[in-house]
Parts: sequence; C-alpha cells; structure tokens
Amino acid sequence: CKKDFLNTVPNDRLSGEFFWKTEEDAELAVNAIYPNLDAQSQLFLLDGLTDIAHVNQFFAVSSQVEQNVYDASSSVIASQWSAAYKGIAAANFVLDNINRVPETETNKVALNQYRGEAKALRAYQYIKLAASFGDVPLVTKTISIQEGKQLVNAPINEIWDFIDKELKEAVELLPSTIEKGRISKGAAWALNARANLYAGRYQNAIDAAQKVFDLNLYHLYPRYEKLFSYAAEGNEEIILDRQYLKDVLSNNVFSTMAPYSQATSTNTYVPTKSIADLYPMANGLPITDINSGFDKFNPYIDRDPRMRYSMFVPGDVLPDGKIFNPLPKSGTPDAIGSTFNATSTGYTIKKYINNEDLANPANNGINSILIRYAEVLLTFAEAKIELNQINDQTALNAINQVRQRGDVNLPPLSNTLNREQLREAVRKERTIELAFEGFRMFDIRRWKTAETAIPGSVYGITYLDNGQLKTIEVPSYIKKFDKNRDYLWPIPRNEKILNTNLVQNPNW
Amino acid sequence: QMNVRIHTNVSNTTVKHVFDAIESKTAYNFIYDSNNVDVNKAISLNEDLTVKEILNTLETDLGLVFRPINNTITVVNINSQTGNTRASNLFLQTLSKQAQITGTVTDNKGESLPGVSVKVKGALTGSSTDINGQYSLNAPGSSTLVFTYIGFVAQEVAVNNRSSVNVILLEDTQNLEEVVVVGYGTQKKVSVTNSVSQIQGEVLTERPVSNLGQALQGQAPGLTVLDLGGMPGRSTSTIRVRGITTLPDANNPAKNDALVIVDGIEQSLSDINPDDIATVSILKDAASTAIYGSRAANGVILITTKRAKAGKALVTFNSYYALQNTINHPKMDTESYMHLQQVAYQNAGLAIPSMYTDESIKTWMTSNDREQYPLANVWFDELFQTAPQLNSTLSISGGSENFKARMSARYMKQDALISGYGANLGEIRVNTDYVVSKKINVVADLNYRRNDSKAPTLENNVYDRMFHGTLFAVPKYADGSYGLSTQGQSPLVYAELGGVSHRYMENIIGNIKGDWAIIDGLKFTTQLAARIDLFREKSFGNEFTVTDKRYNVTRSILNNSLTETRNNTTEYTINNLLTYDKTFEKHNISALIGNSIISNVTNTLSAYRERFYNNDIQSIGQGANDGTKSNNGGDAEWNLASYFARVNYSLNDKYLFEANGRYDGSSRFTGSNQYSFFPSFSAGWRLSQEELFSNIDVINELKLRGSWGRTGNQAVGLYSYLQALSTSSYAFGSSSVIGYSPTTLSNPDITWETTTQTNIGLDAQLFRNLSITLDYYKKRTDGILINLPIPQTIGLSAPPQNAGVVDNTGLEVALGYRNNSHNIKYSLNGNVAINNNRVISLADTGPYISGDDINPQYIIKEGLPINAHWGYLTDGLFQTIEEINNYPTITTNRKPGDVKFVDLNDDGIINSDDMTMIGSSFPKYTFGFSGNIGYGNFELSAFLQGAAKVDTRLAGALAEMGNNEGFTPALVTKNNYWTPEHPDARFPRPVKRDITNSNTSDRMVIDGSYIRLKNVQLSYTLPQSLIEKLNMTKISVYTSATNLFTISKLNEWGLDPETPSGRATYYPQTSLWTFGLNVQF
Repeated sequence: CKKDFLNTVPNDRLSGEFFWKTEEDAELAVNAIYPNLDAQSQLFLLDGLTDIAHVNQFFAVSSQVEQNVYDASSSVIASQWSAAYKGIAAANFVLDNINRVPETETNKVALNQYRGEAKALRAYQYIKLAASFGDVPLVTKTISIQEGKQLVNAPINEIWDFIDKELKEAVELLPSTIEKGRISKGAAWALNARANLYAGRYQNAIDAAQKVFDLNLYHLYPRYEKLFSYAAEGNEEIILDRQYLKDVLSNNVFSTMAPYSQATSTNTYVPTKSIADLYPMANGLPITDINSGFDKFNPYIDRDPRMRYSMFVPGDVLPDGKIFNPLPKSGTPDAIGSTFNATSTGYTIKKYINNEDLANPANNGINSILIRYAEVLLTFAEAKIELNQINDQTALNAINQVRQRGDVNLPPLSNTLNREQLREAVRKERTIELAFEGFRMFDIRRWKTAETAIPGSVYGITYLDNGQLKTIEVPSYIKKFDKNRDYLWPIPRNEKILNTNLVQNPNW
Repeated sequence: QMNVRIHTNVSNTTVKHVFDAIESKTAYNFIYDSNNVDVNKAISLNEDLTVKEILNTLETDLGLVFRPINNTITVVNINSQTGNTRASNLFLQTLSKQAQITGTVTDNKGESLPGVSVKVKGALTGSSTDINGQYSLNAPGSSTLVFTYIGFVAQEVAVNNRSSVNVILLEDTQNLEEVVVVGYGTQKKVSVTNSVSQIQGEVLTERPVSNLGQALQGQAPGLTVLDLGGMPGRSTSTIRVRGITTLPDANNPAKNDALVIVDGIEQSLSDINPDDIATVSILKDAASTAIYGSRAANGVILITTKRAKAGKALVTFNSYYALQNTINHPKMDTESYMHLQQVAYQNAGLAIPSMYTDESIKTWMTSNDREQYPLANVWFDELFQTAPQLNSTLSISGGSENFKARMSARYMKQDALISGYGANLGEIRVNTDYVVSKKINVVADLNYRRNDSKAPTLENNVYDRMFHGTLFAVPKYADGSYGLSTQGQSPLVYAELGGVSHRYMENIIGNIKGDWAIIDGLKFTTQLAARIDLFREKSFGNEFTVTDKRYNVTRSILNNSLTETRNNTTEYTINNLLTYDKTFEKHNISALIGNSIISNVTNTLSAYRERFYNNDIQSIGQGANDGTKSNNGGDAEWNLASYFARVNYSLNDKYLFEANGRYDGSSRFTGSNQYSFFPSFSAGWRLSQEELFSNIDVINELKLRGSWGRTGNQAVGLYSYLQALSTSSYAFGSSSVIGYSPTTLSNPDITWETTTQTNIGLDAQLFRNLSITLDYYKKRTDGILINLPIPQTIGLSAPPQNAGVVDNTGLEVALGYRNNSHNIKYSLNGNVAINNNRVISLADTGPYISGDDINPQYIIKEGLPINAHWGYLTDGLFQTIEEINNYPTITTNRKPGDVKFVDLNDDGIINSDDMTMIGSSFPKYTFGFSGNIGYGNFELSAFLQGAAKVDTRLAGALAEMGNNEGFTPALVTKNNYWTPEHPDARFPRPVKRDITNSNTSDRMVIDGSYIRLKNVQLSYTLPQSLIEKLNMTKISVYTSATNLFTISKLNEWGLDPETPSGRATYYPQTSLWTFGLNVQF
C-alpha cells in the first residue's frame, strides 16, 4: 500500500513503453512527423532574408539577420537548426522502432509506406540543413545526451549522399498515389531532384525530375492566380504541401501578411523593388528594355501577370473591396510610415491571401505548398543547362511550359538562346515563378549571386509626389554580405558550447 | 519581612495561632478588636507560606483586611458589623472612604485577561481578575492601582476617584516566557537555537493591505517581499526567504517560494485573513526548517490563527474604508515630443512628416481642439480613477473552560483604478477548542473563503497600450465614439469593450486535531485536515468594432469567444506526533517523533467556444458547435510520506542543543531516489546565565547560537522520470489526425535539490528595553533541477537534471526598543538584511541568456547572481566624427550623439562577446523601520521600508526614444537628448527607424533602490469613561496613508521601483487613504 502511495501512475500522458504494438501505432508515430513540415511563415522568412523580400519590422530579431548584424548566438538561426533536427528526431523515432511492430502479410505494405514516409520526411529536413549550414551532424537514430555531445560535422557531400540514398529507398517503399498530404513516390523523386540540384549533381537531378514527369500524375495548374487559393488546394500541380484545416489546425497567414488595413495586424514580410522590377512586361521584355513599353508612371500595367498574382501593388483591390493605397501621404492605414505595421516598401505579398479569410484573419486553413510541378520543371531545365544539354530543347521546353501556363501566357523563349542566356533565363524564371515560396535564399547561395544581390538599401514603390517620381527607400537600412562568410549560416553558438567537436563554419 | 516564610503546615489551627507565629518570626504586631475579629476561628494552612501569602489567604477566606503601618498591622473584619473599637476607628474611617472600584483588564488586542493581579499601591489590599478579565476591590479614591501579569508589562494607574478603571496591558515582548512557534510545536524564545523571526498578528493588521505578503513586507530581516501592485483580488507579491535559493524555472514559478503552513496545513499565503492571524513565524535556517524536509529549502512560514479564551463573549469589529490612487504617473510632453520627432527624422535623413514641421507643431499646441489635434498620450489621466476599498472583519470569541470558540467573518470589496477590474472577498473561520477530559483536548477548525475578481479579458493589452502604439489617439470623441491611434490601438477600448474575465476562487479548509496527554510529559497529537481549492474562470472576449473617425482605422474582434476553466485541487494531510517534555533537575529534555502523509490531486478542465449570438449570451453551450470549439484538461497527483524527529536538550537553561531529521518520500521521483533524509543540528549558549554576566546589569539576556542542516526542494514537474509521448495534430485532406512522438527527453535519475545551510546568530537584551538579533548564514543549494540545454541535434526538449549550484550568504540584523515614560510610550523597530547570491556551477554549461535585444536580457552564469541584467557597457555619447573613426562601433553609420558602446574585450569589434553584467535583478539589501509613539489616547506610527542594490531594465517605448511612436517620457524629450546645441545631454540623438542606441546596455538599466514611507497611521482610542457609558470595552478610530512617498531613481520615469523590468505593462502600485474603526465589547 505504502509503495503504491508513492508510485503514482499518470493518466495524462502516454508512456513510451506501451507503444509500438500495432500497425496503428506506427501510423500515429508517422503522423507526428508531418507537423515539422514548413509553414508559410517559414518560407516567407527565408525570402525575407534575401533581396526579394524584407523583414518589415526593423526591430524584429530576424531583421538583424536580414541586415547581417547577427552572430552565432542569433535565436533565428538557432531555431532553424533545432526545428530541422526536431523533424529528424520524429522520423528517427519511427525508423528506430517500426521493426518492433510484428510484420504480417496484411500490414507489410502499410509498414513499408510508413518507413518510406519517414525516410523522405527526414531527407526533407536534411536538404534544408545542408543548404543552410553546410557540414552538419548526420543523426540517423535516436540519440542520448552523451551521443549528442560527441557528434561531428559530416562533410556536406556525405549529407547529400545520404539524402539521395534515403529518397531512392523511400521511392521503392512508397505508392504512387496516396492519401492527400502524405508523401508519395512523386514527392520523394521531386525532393531527390531538388537535393541533387542544390548539391550540384545535375545528372541525378535530371534523372529524378524525369521520374516525376514519367509518373504522369502531375501537371501545371492552368491558373497561377488561383494556385494559392482554397479552391485550388490539392490540384494536379501540388506534389507536397503542409496541410491546414480552418478552425481545427489553422495558420494565421492572412493576419500576418495581408495589408495592414485588412487585418489590423502586421505585415511581417514585404516584397521589395528588386522582385518588382524583375517581372518582365507581358510581351516578355524586361522593363529596362527601351522597347518594352514600360511606363514608369503606370508601372503595373502590362506586366508579367504573375506580378499582380504574387503581390499587392498600389491600386490593387483589397480583400475588403477597397483600393490598396500605400503612398506615404494617402491617409489610409496602409500608408508607408503611418505605423511600423504598415508595409515599408509599398508592396505586400499576395500569395495565400484569400478573401475568404478577411472575416477571420487569424484562422486560415490554406495549405502551405512545399513542392509543386513547376519547381520540378525548372529544376530539370536548370540542371540540363548546367550540363550544357541544351540541344534537345527539353530545357527550353520546360521553361516555356512554366511561362505559358494558362493565365500567365508569356511569349516563349527563343530557341536561339545560348547556354549563358538560358542560364540567366532559367534563374530569372525560377525567381519569379517561385517568389515567396522559400527558394530564393538557397538559389542565390548556389548561384553565388548573393554577394551582388543582397548588399545595399532596401527599396520599394516608385510613385508621383508633387509631380516628381520618388522611390521609397527603407530608412537607415543597409544590408551587407560577406562572400567569405555569409554563404553559410553559423553553427548555433549553444550547439558549439554543448558539443565541442563541432567545427564552426569559416569566418564565423 | 513580608517575605519571611512561616511554618504553617497545619490543619485546624486558629487565626490567633497564626498571628502568634508571625509575631514570633517577625517584628510585626497585630492590633485588632476581638469583637470585630474572631481570632479563634479555625483555619487550615497546608503549606509553608510567606507572611504576605498568609495575609492574602486570610483576606480572601475570612474577609479580614490588614493595614501595616511600620511594624504594626491593624486588622479589621469588614464583613462584621460589630465591635468598632477605638483601636480600629482611625482605620475604619479611612476604610469608609474607600469606594468599590471595578474594571476590566484586556490586552492590546482587546482580549480579556483573567488572573491579572490588581493591588493597591502601598497596601496589602488586592484582587485579581476573573475569567472575563473583570475585577473589583475597595481602595481609597486617591490611591494608585498596580496591575501585574506574567508576560505583560506591569502598569500603575491612579484611581483619581473613579469607580471604574479599565486597563490595557501591553505584552512584554522581552519576556523570558515568550514562546515562539516552530515546526510542529512551540519553544520558549530564550531556548531557541535556530534562526526564527516571529511577527505578532496585530502588526500585520496595522495597515490596510490586499494580501498578506504585503503585510509582511519589511517586518522581518531575511524576508524579501516584492510587491507587484494592487490588482483587485489578484494582487501578487513575490516572497523570498534569504534570497533566491534555486535557479528559477519558467514552467515552475513557485520553485523559489517558501512553504507556508497554517495551523499545520500547507496553504497559500494569499488565502488567509490577516485579522485571523495570531502569529507568523519565519523559519530561516536549515535547523528550523529541516523538520519540513523536502519542501523546506526556501524557508518556511508558519502561521497560527487566533483562538478563543474562556470567558464571556468578546466581540471585535475591525473595519476600514480606503481610497486607492495610483502612485505613479508617467508623464509625456506633447510639444517636446513632436520636436524630438522632427530631429529624429532629420537625423535619419528622412523628410519631416507634415505633422512634425515647426508650423504644424505650433498649430497643434495652440489649438484648443483636442479632437483635431490630440495630445500625444493622455491615457494615464483618462484611465485611472480614485477607487474605494472596504474591508470589515467581525469576530466573536469566548466560551467556558471546556468549550471555547472563536468565529470571524470578513467582507472586502475592492474597486479598481481602471474600469473592468474589481474584487469581492468573503470568508468565515470558526476555531473551536474542546476539553474532552483531563487528558484529551480536541481542536476543530473550519475556514471558507471566496474571492471573486474580474479583469478585462484583454488585460495585457490595456497596460501595454497605455505605453505602446497609441500616441495621438483621442480616447473618446465628444459624440461618444471611441478613438484609436493610427495603429488601431486604444487601451480604453480594450478595457471597456474587450469583455470581462471573471475569476472565482473558493477555498475550504477543515482541520481536526486531538491531543492525548498519556503520562506526565508524554503527549500524542494527531491531526487530520483537508484543503479544497476550487478555481473557476470565465473569460469572455467580446466582439466589437471600433472605427476611429479621424484616422479611419478599424479595430475589430469579429467573433466573440468564451474560455471557461476549472481547476480543482484537493489536498489531504495527516500528521501524527508523539512529544515528550521533562525536566530532571538541571536537565530539560524534549523530544518529538512524527509522521506526515500528504496527498494532492488536481483536476483541470477547460472549454472554448466562439461566435455567441451576442456579447450577453455567455453560457458555454451557446457558442458555435463546430470545429472551433475545443476543450482540454488533465489530472495530476502527487503524494508525500514522511517521518521526522526532533530532540532538544538543555542544561541549566544555559547550554542548549537541538537535532532534527526528516525522512521524506515523494512520488515525484522513482526508484532509489524516492526517499531522502534531511538532518539538522543546532546549539546555543546563554552567556547571560553565566556568573560572569550575572553582575552586569546592562545585559539582561545574551545568547550565542549556531546551526547546520540540510533541506530539500522537490519542485520538479510530475513524471519527469517517465519517457512519455506527446500528442500532435495534423490534417490529411479534410480530416484531422493525431500523432504521437516523444518531445521531451526523460530523466529517470532525477532527485531532490539539496540546500545545506550554516547559521551563526546572537540574541541579546540590553538595558531591559533594547533587543538585538544578529544572524549570519551561508547556504548552498546543489543538485539544482534545471533543464540543462542539450544539443538540439537530439531533437527533443531538455529534461530537468540535477545540476546547478547556487550560494546565498547573508547577514541579518533586527533591533527593537520600547519604553514608557510618564504618559508617553514609544517603540522603535528596525531590521536590515544583506543577501549575496551567486551561481556557483551550471555543470559546465551556460551561460543561459534569456530575453533579446529589445527586451530585458538576463543571464544565469557561473559567478554572477541569478538572473543578472546582461548587456553592453557604455561610455557616454560620441561627440565628434574623429571620435567615431577611432572607436569600434556596433553598426556602421554612427554619428555624433550616438551611444558609445564599450569594446570590453578590446578586439576592435563590438558584438555580444562584449556584453557583461549591467545590474542585479534581486535586491542585495532590504530593510524596514517602524516607529510607534503613544500619548494618552493617541498613537502615531510610521513604517519605512526599502531595498537597495537592485536594478530595473526599461524596455519597449520607455527605451526607444519615440522611435516606434510609443510613450516617450518628458524626461527624455525635454531638452535632454543630444543635439549639437546640447552635447551634454543625457540621452543620445534620436534617429528614426534606427534602434542601435537602444541596444541592451547600462543606459537602460536604472538603479531600483528605494526607500518608501509605506505607512503612517494616527489612531485615537476613546476615553474609558465614554466607552463604559456605551457598554463597550474599546473603541478606537484611525486614519492612515499607505505608500505616502518613495525615494527612487525611477520617480523621474514615473515608474514604481518594485515593478518588474521591461515594458511597464502591469497594474499600477496604489496609495491608500484609509479610515478605520476598531470596536470591542
């Protein structure tokens, strides 16, 4: 009796001892890996640290990273690291224990699928880690504190090898079609293509992308404008998304990203002049081309339609039906400078901003798209171009497919472009097509263009002020980039303190 | 001669024989008239008595009155009508002038005192008070009465021909018989060898407080009370005994709290009616607390409640009415703020917005139209109002020797400075005492309390928005509509429209205790108690839409919502004690063994729904029955099984020894860690009992004492040893699923934190009037449970581990002085405590820095006090470009007028490596001084209290110099920031959108030392003659002022020094004007 008095048994938590008996346990454990997929806010953050978007609140901690006045102690960097390893641990928990579930003829397929999901979801996190930090510890099983303190940096090539191997194994375990939201064979191939592109292993990337094409399950959705809307959720272009449900499992993308007047909240990240100017005219010519027809007094007319599908520009109709007017003296809540919550560039991001969410701005169910077919096409094209496999026109065709999506409908690229021109074209296409979807930071790192793209002031809209054209410049905001250091983030300081084996990235 | 002992151990002797015996042993002669005095009357005296005692007995038994004049004693029988002889004529004449005098003797709490000796000065005549404290005797109208009673200061009162003389005796605090409440018992103060401070209940009710913590502030050395303001019904104060014992844990905020025991039962300090308290004992060193074992590391506060004395019913009514006001008033100056903005924009190279041009400022300031040109910040005028508070306690006590009872009922109503807040509190307590037989006593107590309070649901926004994001907003337009700032914010809207959160807390405590005196000195006590805490909260968030008509900004909450919470805790306690107390000649031994079982079960439940038909429909079932509804809850149980013992031994009342031990078992741990042992030893030496000191009149009492002991802290999350899986949610398509995964690493090796404390102390009484207590202590806590960071590559949250070590050393001094001369009685008390806190080890980890650049940063680092302020040192402001060029800067683009951060490690770069300790978040010195002076029926008392060597870090608007359109104190804006014309300014140049100058640094850290006149009180007791006509015992009235003034560096910021660092987003400190009444009959 005395013994039991002190040995209380909790009924408010599940003890690990009782788990891993049935196939259902495996499914429940796999389900717990998925919440580690990236939310829109994470994707926006990554772009906010590049040239195409800007951390709107200059006092936000991530603003220091954007401005490059941070060090290895930055909490933003530390949370990127820990979030990825948290996802890895959840996957390791499955892969370490799933063999404890007795395998039968009836559950074999399902158990294999769970293994495949766990492997792919783990690889997803490693792609981010390798691309962000370079040589990172490769943790492939549940580890103890002691083991954690003795890990060493794995060379990045070893990480890429591991990712490639894991995803190829996952492909074998996964079905082609699967419950919405789960990792399918196609998702594993698409991740493999992405990883190999990032690793500079272009042939592997081409092969993996080709596997996605060969599945013949995915196609471009005809309307870019609606791609990020509720109506288009789960359309044929989506290969993987992080799923949300309004009321039940919601996000707050509307309240954090919609123009201030719509949500009376914040604009956490806003687009910059860099991306705005990158959108060509509808005729395909860049706005800098004197023949393009660009009218600096009407800068948003006749542009690549994706511009106004991706961002709110002055004059756009807002979800509440009013006209977006961020001009400094407009007197609207959105006026630049009226508060630090209003956009500081005059643009705001439109992707994922749905009119349906106006009524309940912090309770949104819109999914966060993580892999879509357009990325695979552009990955394929870029890898082909890098390998100078341009004669078969497949690279050009892939780019043109993206450019000629139903409601985008830009003129196709000329088939006379040389490799350099094609490289420039695919990079530009990728930046525009995938803007605000979390790719830019990794892209400018692999292209080694960050050192030119990032430094300098942040600019916004150009508008008429007393008859004179004026361009918004974010005050007191000068971004720096050290090419000998900033192509990798630092290993978080606390990690290095706890594990002296870890080697810091150069110059950090 | 009166003290000469006469052999009288005889039965059936006569008065004559007794007189003869006295005459033969002394120089006395008896004169009497044998007609009047029957000297042959038989009496029995069965002891050897002194002359005085014999005469007293005869006086009482036979009605004889003795009047000694030199060696002649005249004897008269006042009961006899016969034989008025010449010899006694003179005496009888005087006697006939005597009048009967009656009266009541009470203590200063109004409790009647039975058994008080009342004597006529210079005569043998005397009497004593009965069970109701009443006496009567005959004495000449010109005589003086002397009242004496053990434990009280003797008092002489001139009769002045009155027929009634009521007296209030003051307790003699320096009395040798004074007892102190200690763990599971009491001890005579003189024989205590541990460090214990005792506070009498009446001290706590001297000034109006909304919780007991506030009443304890400054009353005992080593007790640090941080008062966090007077939010009605929810006021909180942080109480620390001898510093911060262990590293704080955000998930476990009570980890540093002292154990509070009320009449043997663990309870929360805020749940007790101060009017019910008899004594509060603060057990500070390990020797006094070890008997509470695993919960004692942070010190123990023992509270005993008042009990009835036998006698006729005594009714006491205490009531006060107070007016509350905010004591701090942050001030902003619109005009200078607008000029600062102008400069800030210029400094950033930006165009000056039209609002801040010279012309606009002029128009703005000269206009009378504050709807068109609102002042920058009027919230502190707009939101705060004077608010009343009423508190009354009625108690009735009395009974027979075999049954005594005291009941009390209290009602308190507290309105608030800000609308939307308020509290109602009601409680009753019944304490009963039964004498079942000569050997068995039973005590049964019941306490019920209900505390209803309300606060705005969006409470945090209310405070926050008084400072942040609300400049140039019109609180309310003339047409009644609410205004908003350009950011769409208004604290008034949140306070008045956001909805109300109601909180209902009920506590029921029942307690039965029985004593059985088995044989002489041996006693068995058993106690059974239950405490039930019922917590209920209803937070309704209104739906509302407010559009500011000037800025055209809308703030709306589109869906109303309700969160209901219930937390129920039931705790059962069983205590069994066997005590033995015996004196063998010079040896005194007392011993105690006992066991205690505590079982605590908490059940929580919460529910949420939204979209109610309107804001008045507030039943949870009326909200939307769809995916938005949710509920949550859980069970938690912990048990404690303990065995403990104590032995005291004293030799000659001179050499004192004590040993304690407790063997504690806790369900929070598993395996061999479940039980642990906590021992302590202490010794004392009463030097004043030594011959050497007996001749020194100045020293009445002098005792040296020392102690050593170990205590524990079991404050760790339940089931930390168990590897558990957590649930998560996800959605596939339109169906939501749950998942299970481990999120926190488990630690099966987890065990107690252990605190080892050594104490050396001294107690002295000098000149009869002056008492001194000195204590020096050193305590070390090791095995501190902290969530040591673990490599994030593990992918799980860190479990608590027994790691860190923290030291506290300190010195405590308490002085007391009291004196009476003529009609003036006065007393002075003071105490000072010094505490040094150091983190000794973090198991090779750390430092742990919390907070960020724009909020207070705290560090927990080996060698520094816990949670030291962390940041850059600064070296004034840059004055020239050359200076900047020759100095490392934190960011590029620095200009004259910017802050010069110090490159502490001299590496030419200013980064987080240059940060250092810039302040202390917990006071090193705390002190309190009180003075009391009584003249006639008036009494004046004052109480000063304070702390020193503590710092506050300002953050948010207070630190930003107007950068984010937040509240900017006039202190900053009024010619106090750097411009080329003001190079010596205190604050740096303002730069719009540049926060480099507000990087965490010593510039943001303000010395939080303060001294505060906490209370001044004047009371007047109505004259006895008047009170008697009203058939009362005592009536007194008082008025007092609380928080009258504070000397602090934070005054210039309009902030209170006791409030926590950061954005000043809290319910303010209040001052109170009080009018009180105290009636007894």
